[in-house]
Order: sequence, then structure tokens, then C-alpha cells
Amino acid sequence: MLAYAAARVPPFAALVAAIGVFGALLLVFVLVRHADDLLPWALAVLAVAYAVSLFVHGSAVDEGAPLVAAGLLLCGELAAWSLDERHAIAAERDVVLRRGLALGALVLAGLGAAVAVIAFAASPAGGGLAWTALGAVAAVLVVGTVAELVRRTA
Amino acid sequence: MTRIASPRLAAYAGLAAIGLIVGLAAGRVELVALAAPFALAAVAGATLARDPAIEATLELDRERALESEGVEARLELLSPPGSDRVDVLLPLPDELRSRSSNPRAVVLAPGAPRTLSVPIRCERWGAFVVGPLLVRARDRLGFHSWEARIGGRAPLRVYPSVETLRALLPPLETQVFIGDQVSRAKGDGIEFADVREWEPGDRVRRVNWRASARRGSLWVNEQHPERNTDVVLFLDTFADVRSAGRGTLDLTVRAATSLAHRYLQRKDRVGLVSFGGYLSWLLPASGTRQLYRIIDSLLQMDIVLSFATKGVDILPPRTLPPKALVLALTPLLDPRSAAALLDLRARGFDLVVIEVSPMPFIEPGKDELAQLSYRLWRLSRESLRARYEQAGVPVIEWLDGVPLNVPLEEVAAFRRQARPARA
Repeated sequence: MLAYAAARVPPFAALVAAIGVFGALLLVFVLVRHADDLLPWALAVLAVAYAVSLFVHGSAVDEGAPLVAAGLLLCGELAAWSLDERHAIAAERDVVLRRGLALGALVLAGLGAAVAVIAFAASPAGGGLAWTALGAVAAVLVVGTVAELVRRTA
Repeated sequence: MTRIASPRLAAYAGLAAIGLIVGLAAGRVELVALAAPFALAAVAGATLARDPAIEATLELDRERALESEGVEARLELLSPPGSDRVDVLLPLPDELRSRSSNPRAVVLAPGAPRTLSVPIRCERWGAFVVGPLLVRARDRLGFHSWEARIGGRAPLRVYPSVETLRALLPPLETQVFIGDQVSRAKGDGIEFADVREWEPGDRVRRVNWRASARRGSLWVNEQHPERNTDVVLFLDTFADVRSAGRGTLDLTVRAATSLAHRYLQRKDRVGLVSFGGYLSWLLPASGTRQLYRIIDSLLQMDIVLSFATKGVDILPPRTLPPKALVLALTPLLDPRSAAALLDLRARGFDLVVIEVSPMPFIEPGKDELAQLSYRLWRLSRESLRARYEQAGVPVIEWLDGVPLNVPLEEVAAFRRQARPARA
């Protein structure tokens, strides 16, 4: 993912790679020191590395974004799984299998959602202020829904 | 159950929100696409959360066991809605060890009870309470966990192993009740003691006709009567020296159990004095109930740090009956117990000191100063032993790994060579 982001913008590859390597090192630190709290920051830094490559590259839509998004989610989930297994707990095969299947399903669903976003953006539905306003309202609704669900369960 | 949400859930929601807002503001759909899987994961995590409401019961297959024996703990778990992952830990004290995976992670099907078996090995004597279980359930993706202590408690008493003793120490004097110990005194009994001239009142059946014919006058047989003994086990619990899971207190308790078991088998009366930071005693009595009383008392025994000066004066008088054989088991580490034992001897008690040696549990230091202090300490112990021997008290060193028969035989040999002077 990091190599893909750096390869898209050769003149700024060093900058993207530097940010990405920092994120990767942060992720390694999280795994080695079991610092759960820093996991979102590591993912955020990796996302920033990709975002920098996006902004530097230009206005063309990157069709590889869904893969990057799914990869980032997979990275986060695998890291979280690794952190959950830090204690020596003998787990049944079924326990591991269930989580593996759930993780796979989540990543595939996430990939599907990202592809759907890119596909909707590429559809010739037109543009203008109305669409922008609709998008903003949709975004606010999505953020609000997620925040509310998380608040209820946290 | 206490629910704990993973910080990942809020973090994913935050990443999704930032991605959406920045993507919208910058007009980059890729950032929205980047945010979409995280938003989906946060929604999935929030909606999948359901309390597994786990119920558990804990049972041990028995409440009593001997050291080095195994006990099986059965854990029954039930979750009406089911759970994809339940971590179960049976907390055990250091003296008990699980012989299978503990903790372990299992799946609970909805409404179906699941029974787990945890074999436990009893490493050391003691009175324990096993449980409650520590249970942590997680949802399938680990976004939420529920923790609880459930399952109740189960008592377990682990008795010290008993060593087979070939012979016991005979006391200098026996008591007046019938027992299995052949008294040194003469009277009615089975064991032949001597012959003496007939005196008015002697029964005809006691006449030794062969001796009478040879000597020309009536001679009668005398026997040693069978009497019982009062034995007081005096345990020094001021200090314990431990190393690699073994220590002087363990040896003391095992020896006391073996001695009590054997003396009570012989119909003697056995009492117990735990002389340490925490003072406890049991009046001498005989029978199986007394054995269980002694063992229960030994199971509660522990080292309690105390700087209080204590002597034998604080013991109730009936704890130490006259003519009792006082068997002291001590590591000879605390001057208070050393002084108390000398005091007992001065009061005329038949005292035997079995020194539960702390030497196998002590590693002398490497440097010269440590070596010197170690040698000085050993000299001071020698000096203490010499004081006991001057008072006519046999002091026998008992090392870890040596059968208890060995020091008992040594005491018997000491007594054959030297008898304490009677006051």
C-alpha cells in the first residue's frame, strides 16, 4: 500500500515514503509494546501518506482507492487481533476460525463499500450545488449515525 | 457483566468521520472511499454488541486431597444468546497447579451448556478456596468485551503427605492410662521385667515356680505395664526459609502430620503448640478426631511476622501436661523459640529438638564478606546446639530429602548413650 502510494508520485515519493515509514514504525511500536491506544494514530498516519499522494498526484480519481482502504482496514484489524492475543490463552480452533471468517467478511464488505463509493462518483449523475449539498447532508448523516451507534455501545 | 468497548470502535468512527469530512471539503472521493470501510466496521461493531449473559458453575470432584494428588474442577458455562469467544480463567493459588490450559478460549453455542474440565495438581498442603471464575466474552470482531467473576467458590483442603515411620521415640515416662507403650515402670503387663521375692498380696499366678524351686523361697514375676504417652508437638513458626517452592515450614508440617498420625495410631494423646508470631495450641487428646483437629490446625499454619517477646508462660498449663514428651520441630532461627525450648527443659519436660535444617534452602554469598557472615552464622547455630546438649536435650539436624526415620533413630541413639539428669 505504501509502495503503491509512493509509486504514484515519483517526484514526491520520498515525502510519501517518509510519512508512510513513520506510520509503519508506529504500527510496529504498537505491536511490540502492546500500545493499543496508538493503533488509530498509526492507521491515521498511513492514511495521511496515501492522502498526500492523492493531493500531489492531481485531480484524476484513483481507482485503486478501494484496495487501499480495504488494505488499511485489514492492517488495523490484524493488528488488533494480534494485540488481543498478547496473553497466552489457549484458543479452540473454532474461536480462531470464527474471527478469521468475520474479519474476512468485514474486509470484503468494506472493499465493496469503497468500490460502491468510487462507482457512484464515476456515474454520470451530473454535478452542481444541489449534489454537493446532498453529499454534505449524506456525510453528516453517516457521521452522525456512526457516532450515535458508537456512543450507545461504548 | 461489565461491558468494555474497544478503543478501536471510537477510533474507526473518528477515522471515518475525518475521511468523510476532508473528502467532502477537498472534493476527493478517494478519501470518502478510504473512510467507507471504517464507517462500516464501526457500524458493524456497534450493532453486533449483545450481552452474552454468561452463567457458570464451578465444582470440584472432591473437597479433600493429599499433597501431589490430582483434583478435577468442572466448569459449566451457559450463554443464552451464545458467544463467539469466551476466555475462562480459573484463578488458582500458588500451591495448586493446573495441568491443562488455563486460561482457555472457547465458543459457547446459544443456550447450550458447555462443560470444561480443569485437572488440578495439589503441589502443597493448605486450606484453599478455588474460584470464582474470571470470564471474559468478546464479540466476533473483538469490538466489545464483557467481564465478570462468576461461578461461586469451592473449598479444597490439601492434607500434607504422611511419611511411614518405622519407630517412634519412646518417652522417658509414660502416663497412667492404658496404651501401647511399654512403660519403664513395673506393674501389671505383658512384657517381662524382673523377678522379686514374694510379698503378701501377690497373686499366686504371678509366682515364678522355676525361680522359686531354684532359690528355695517364693519368687514372683514382675512385668512392664503398657501405658500411653502424652506427646506435644511444639512447632516453631516464627520463621520459614524457602527456596524453589520448598521450605522449612513445609517440612515441619509434614513431619508433625506424620508424627501425630503415628502416635495417635498407638493410642497416645497428642497435643500441638504452634509457637510463632501467631500462637495456637491444641490440648492433648487421642483418637481420629484429634488427628483431624491437628491436621486442620496445621493447614491454617502460616508465618506471621512478630517482634513481641514470647515465652512458654503464655501457654495454658494443660497444654503441656507433666511427663509429656515434647517434640520440638524448629529451624533454630528465632531466639525466642530457642529460649522457650530451654525454658521447657529447665521445667523438667522430656524435650527432643528436631532441627529442621534451613541449610538446603540457603545459598551462601559469593564474596568474602558474605562467606564470612555465613560461617559466623553457622558457628552461632553450633553454639546454640551445644547449649541444648549441655542441658541434656538431643538436637538432631534433619535435612530436606532425608526420611524422618533418620533423625528419630539418631535421637533414640542419643538417649541410649545419655539420659537427662532428673531434678
